Amino acid sequence: MDRIARIDMGAAGGPKVTEEPVGQYAGLGGRAMTSIVVATEVHPLAHPLGAENKLVISPGMLSGTTGSMTGRLSVGCKSPLTGTIKESNAGGQAAQVLARIGYAAVILEGKPEGDDLYKIIINKDGIKVEVDNSLKLLDNYPLIEKLRQEYGDKVAYMSIGSAGERLMLAASIACTDPELRPTRHCGRGGVGAVMGAKRVKAIILDDEGMKMRPPKDAEKFRDANRKFVEGLRKHPVTGEGLPAYGTNVLTNVLNEAGGYPTRNFKTGVFEGGAKLSGEAQAELETRRGGNPTHGCHRGCVIQCSGIFNDENGNYVTKQPEYETVWSHGGHCGIDDLDAVARMDYMDDNFGVDTIEMGVTIGVAMDAGLAEFGDSAGAIRLLEEVGKGTPLGRVLGSGAEITGKVYGIEKVPVVKGQALPAYDPRPIQGIGVTYATTTQGADHTAGYAIATNILKVGGDVDPLKTEGQVELSRNLQIATAAIDSTGMCLFIAFAILDQPDTFQALLDLLGSFYGIEMTGDDVVALGKKVLSAERDFNTRAGFTKHHDRLPRFFYTDPIEPHNQVFSVSDEEMDTLYNW
Amino acid sequence: MAAVARKNLHLVLSNELSGAFNLLLQQGVRVVCRPGCTLGELLSGQWGIDAEYVSRRITTLFLNCRAIDDVATAHVAGGAVIALSGAMPGLVGATMRRGGFYAAMRGAMTYREGVAGEENQVDWVRVKLFNLILPELGPGFLSHGIIMTAAELLAFITAREFPAGCFTAPPAIDGRLQSTGELEESLALAGEEEVHLTVEFKD
Repeated sequence: MDRIARIDMGAAGGPKVTEEPVGQYAGLGGRAMTSIVVATEVHPLAHPLGAENKLVISPGMLSGTTGSMTGRLSVGCKSPLTGTIKESNAGGQAAQVLARIGYAAVILEGKPEGDDLYKIIINKDGIKVEVDNSLKLLDNYPLIEKLRQEYGDKVAYMSIGSAGERLMLAASIACTDPELRPTRHCGRGGVGAVMGAKRVKAIILDDEGMKMRPPKDAEKFRDANRKFVEGLRKHPVTGEGLPAYGTNVLTNVLNEAGGYPTRNFKTGVFEGGAKLSGEAQAELETRRGGNPTHGCHRGCVIQCSGIFNDENGNYVTKQPEYETVWSHGGHCGIDDLDAVARMDYMDDNFGVDTIEMGVTIGVAMDAGLAEFGDSAGAIRLLEEVGKGTPLGRVLGSGAEITGKVYGIEKVPVVKGQALPAYDPRPIQGIGVTYATTTQGADHTAGYAIATNILKVGGDVDPLKTEGQVELSRNLQIATAAIDSTGMCLFIAFAILDQPDTFQALLDLLGSFYGIEMTGDDVVALGKKVLSAERDFNTRAGFTKHHDRLPRFFYTDPIEPHNQVFSVSDEEMDTLYNW
Repeated sequence: MAAVARKNLHLVLSNELSGAFNLLLQQGVRVVCRPGCTLGELLSGQWGIDAEYVSRRITTLFLNCRAIDDVATAHVAGGAVIALSGAMPGLVGATMRRGGFYAAMRGAMTYREGVAGEENQVDWVRVKLFNLILPELGPGFLSHGIIMTAAELLAFITAREFPAGCFTAPPAIDGRLQSTGELEESLALAGEEEVHLTVEFKD
């Protein structure tokens, strides 16, 4: 990973590829790379779908190594959905393969004239950009099937579906899993529309002839990886809960806690929650010959992904994540896992973010386009997105625009991005993160990373309810650092509870790069990333007044705890004070 | 608190059907107890769940939708709803965890004495079992017994469409053996009467 490739899609005479040493971006990966490149090189007032925007693709600092859980790929740009800086990451095979080929980042720049559609082939011999108009308006599943006939099964694919080509603001970028299904998505923020604006339909990544990236201290790296894997396997969340039930294990608990946003955030408990649960989902998958325990990329030991089959045992989609089951399920008053799985497949196929799409359909239900609980109606609305009808284009532009078009007052978005599956009224701390993150509402921006071990900002007394801002700040700092390593965020629980596993993570980084890593270094990296992102947003015109939840969260109490969001603006405005 | 007269129904089912009650157990079943004690006393003292298991394995607990940090101080009233779960992923999962570092993020969702709900003069609580706890404690609760109305039980048996031969031994109401048809007829007649159901799984 010692090179950066730049592909000027708008160059005179056709796309032009140049390569350069990593230079000022040395030592960066994942979110650190994408955000610092965007903050440095993209004009903050650029139109996100214009030639001035850049799409930065970067594997994590440890991707392409033998280290476990290192398969996250970051994609960054100025977001067409939020207008802010954006980093969106996904699992799948792409990060590992791109890192092994040797690129720390591939940056798509410019914008071609005309209607030609391009594919990019990256392998050990370099980068080729070719026109392929036969791919036009293919959705992700048929697109990958077509590409496999030409490029085979020993590669990884990144692609956009019809939604990305149509520049829909909810459009995602798909990465293929080990079975070459386009199931892992850089979903949030409309990154697929930016790729579509550059007229890039697919990127084929072929690491034939390349080896695993070698660590500086191989023995120490191997030892650290062994300890890291042991730590993941012995922890009840990463070793048992997630493998058995996937992330959807959260449905029952959020519902019981009264924090499960139901029917467009009208109540915190869904009566059909148990039917949507990870427990029910795993049982159904097993009974139908699917699989609730599956890795989204090679080298994953948590295996929280899965395979969802229909009643005849035929593949429908990958195991829908908790947020997807919520957005297409309880948020829309739907308690049918088969309907949710079908919509998950449609999202992946068209190439749209499952959170944005599900929340949008819930808003559309408030507008009367379908009844809450009407799964056939929800599917019909989603089909409009796939067809690219005028209604579909509105829906595919996300919850905020749909809410505006239909005059809906209560639209759950921050900076234009739909809230995920946790109501911020009973869980105030996550509301702080939704409001203040540089990315728009995002539950993964302030994950449960080991702030207790990092001691960023000191300990927080768990018996007090004060300190939500401080907790959120520390979580956002730590998450920005982990997002830069290429590590899956689900390692959080093992490193939260097991200091030796956290040390193993530091040793993995340290032994790979031949440096001594400490918790302070992790904190410094996180702050550097957040500062760059915040600075970009400020220059793009965002102020503290954008760091707010929609008004109804402050005025409408939610059952069963009858709470409103009550963290003061003044407190929230201190989040970036460091 | 007056004793409640209930019919006793005992089912012996094939092991293959051990998951048949999972949805019911997630939604919550009524379990007989002597309320007015702490949650710890209820779980370990009355229901015999090993205290070490409670401490190590049941890391997320809710009493009437409020997260519990200390089972030794949480007071359980009759009619309360108790949910038992293993450790959960996500920030919210970590936030809900008993005594967890992120418990401060819960706010009013944390259980505090005096906010758990009103005393209810009944001899049961509703128990919900989630994730890892479901297969580990579910068979024990079913063996110990759960309360359902006859109508609820009939609806459950009908909806599950228990296959022929699934009963390893004939169902018994108050010790009297019944055919499947007789069982359904008895339950239909009993309507809203409460039934104490015990379930055993055998090969």
